[in-house]
Amino acid sequence: MSKYDLAIIGKGAAAFSAAIRISELTSNQIKIAMIGYGPIGGACVNVGCVPSKYLIEASKNFEMAKKSLYEGINVYASIDFNKFMEALNNFVVTERIEKYEKVIKNFHNIDLYEGKAKFVDKNAVTVNKQKITAFNFLIATGSKTLIPDVKGLNNYYTSENIWNIRKIPEKLAILGSGEVAVELAYAFSNFGSKVYIFNRSDRILKGFDDDITKNLRKTLKNHGIKFHTGVNINEIKDKTLFYDNGSLNFDEIIVATGRIPNIDGLDLDRAGIKFNDRGIIVDKYLKTSNENIYAAGDCVDQELKLETLAGKEGTMVAENILGSGRTINIKNMPWAVFCEPNVASVGYTEKEAKSMDIKYNVRKIEIKNVVKANILKSNDGIIKVISDEKGIILGVQVLASNAAEFIIEGVYLVQNRLTYSDIINSSHVFPTVAESIKIAGQSFIRDISKMSCCME
Amino acid sequence: MAKNIELRIYGMTCDGCVTHITDALKSTIGVEDVYVSLKDGQAIVRVDDNVDPGELEKLDVFTKTHYRVQVRSVKDE
Repeated sequence: MSKYDLAIIGKGAAAFSAAIRISELTSNQIKIAMIGYGPIGGACVNVGCVPSKYLIEASKNFEMAKKSLYEGINVYASIDFNKFMEALNNFVVTERIEKYEKVIKNFHNIDLYEGKAKFVDKNAVTVNKQKITAFNFLIATGSKTLIPDVKGLNNYYTSENIWNIRKIPEKLAILGSGEVAVELAYAFSNFGSKVYIFNRSDRILKGFDDDITKNLRKTLKNHGIKFHTGVNINEIKDKTLFYDNGSLNFDEIIVATGRIPNIDGLDLDRAGIKFNDRGIIVDKYLKTSNENIYAAGDCVDQELKLETLAGKEGTMVAENILGSGRTINIKNMPWAVFCEPNVASVGYTEKEAKSMDIKYNVRKIEIKNVVKANILKSNDGIIKVISDEKGIILGVQVLASNAAEFIIEGVYLVQNRLTYSDIINSSHVFPTVAESIKIAGQSFIRDISKMSCCME
Repeated sequence: MAKNIELRIYGMTCDGCVTHITDALKSTIGVEDVYVSLKDGQAIVRVDDNVDPGELEKLDVFTKTHYRVQVRSVKDE
């Protein structure tokens, strides 16, 4: 039997953040067991953010090389997809080694255990029949793809194994309409696949306001992606989808219908930990129903599943174990979808403000008012800024090129309760797409159609 | 009735650290006796009934220096 101060179940973003922070705080004297299976680093570096953004950026590069946006420039592009995917996977391995494998070697207070943990009582787990006891526990086991119950659905990719694909599918069906579905649809469409999105509800990216997603949907449609939303798939036979009003045959199917907490087999009941099908139930300090056991990241019952949120929560747990009493405001967390244009958001959306009876003002600016977006030939977007009655910014949503890069301005605004006057009083670089936030701020006090682009 | 509180202390590296922490705990109202072990990174603190064990975690020595602490057990004497 091995005895530890802290046992962390999982080895992804929340697990690493917690382990590093609590090691810092305790001068590396805390004895930690980190238990998990599969490649170190969790979903983000191995099958999530890192490979997906590599795929998207490369696909964008290919798309731009196929079709020059600028008059007078002629381009030509070809692709060796097999070679490209090998490079993508090599990139993932390099990042994993640099950011996780080498990092963990710096911490002599952390022992790694490969295997699935199972609680045996309130302060012990077993891993491969070995018993590990600890005073504190952190459950950070992440999430996995939800596989819908569709008759005949058995030969498909998910965001976990799409990285094994070596041939561009001519016709690709994507089940789902969330972030993963939209990003993969966009990337494969750039590579030349005929992409069809199927979803039971009629909406895409449900976390954003409808005017933002309608606009994005129109752009993606113009890009060649076909939407079959509000549609039930009744059966799949040999990659032919039989849905409400028709059938279509595909070369490949990707399932991206959402993510569920990865908590099966942990025997949480034995440790007195309450959970439901959305995840582990925690209090505002991320403590579970067992006072020495915390949970963080995608395995928690919470509204967002994000690598950055998991990382932040891991840090918070580390500090709370040592009595800090830190909490997190999930509304300060930015999130983005990396199709082109990007969609990014922080704070309250208009529909949230409405549903919560918050008195708000909203300004919506079309991105074609932003000179840099016109230069980039990507001006089909919107920026929405929501303030309360005193002008304090409650939320920012951006549908524009590079939005994922500059939504951080929205984070500072929302987190620090700044006003539209603060936006106006802060000079932005001209010309940038980020300047769209300044223009939206100015629209609170003047008609921007009567404003020159140099107006500060 | 007196209580014995077991603390797990992180950050001690020498006898000077032991003295520093012992002094800080001993100067806390309600603390009757203190034993700090450098080797185990632990302390046993005997306190009177009015001391809230959680309050020991909030002492300056554990929040404003590099030392950190966690209450591990509380036993009535």
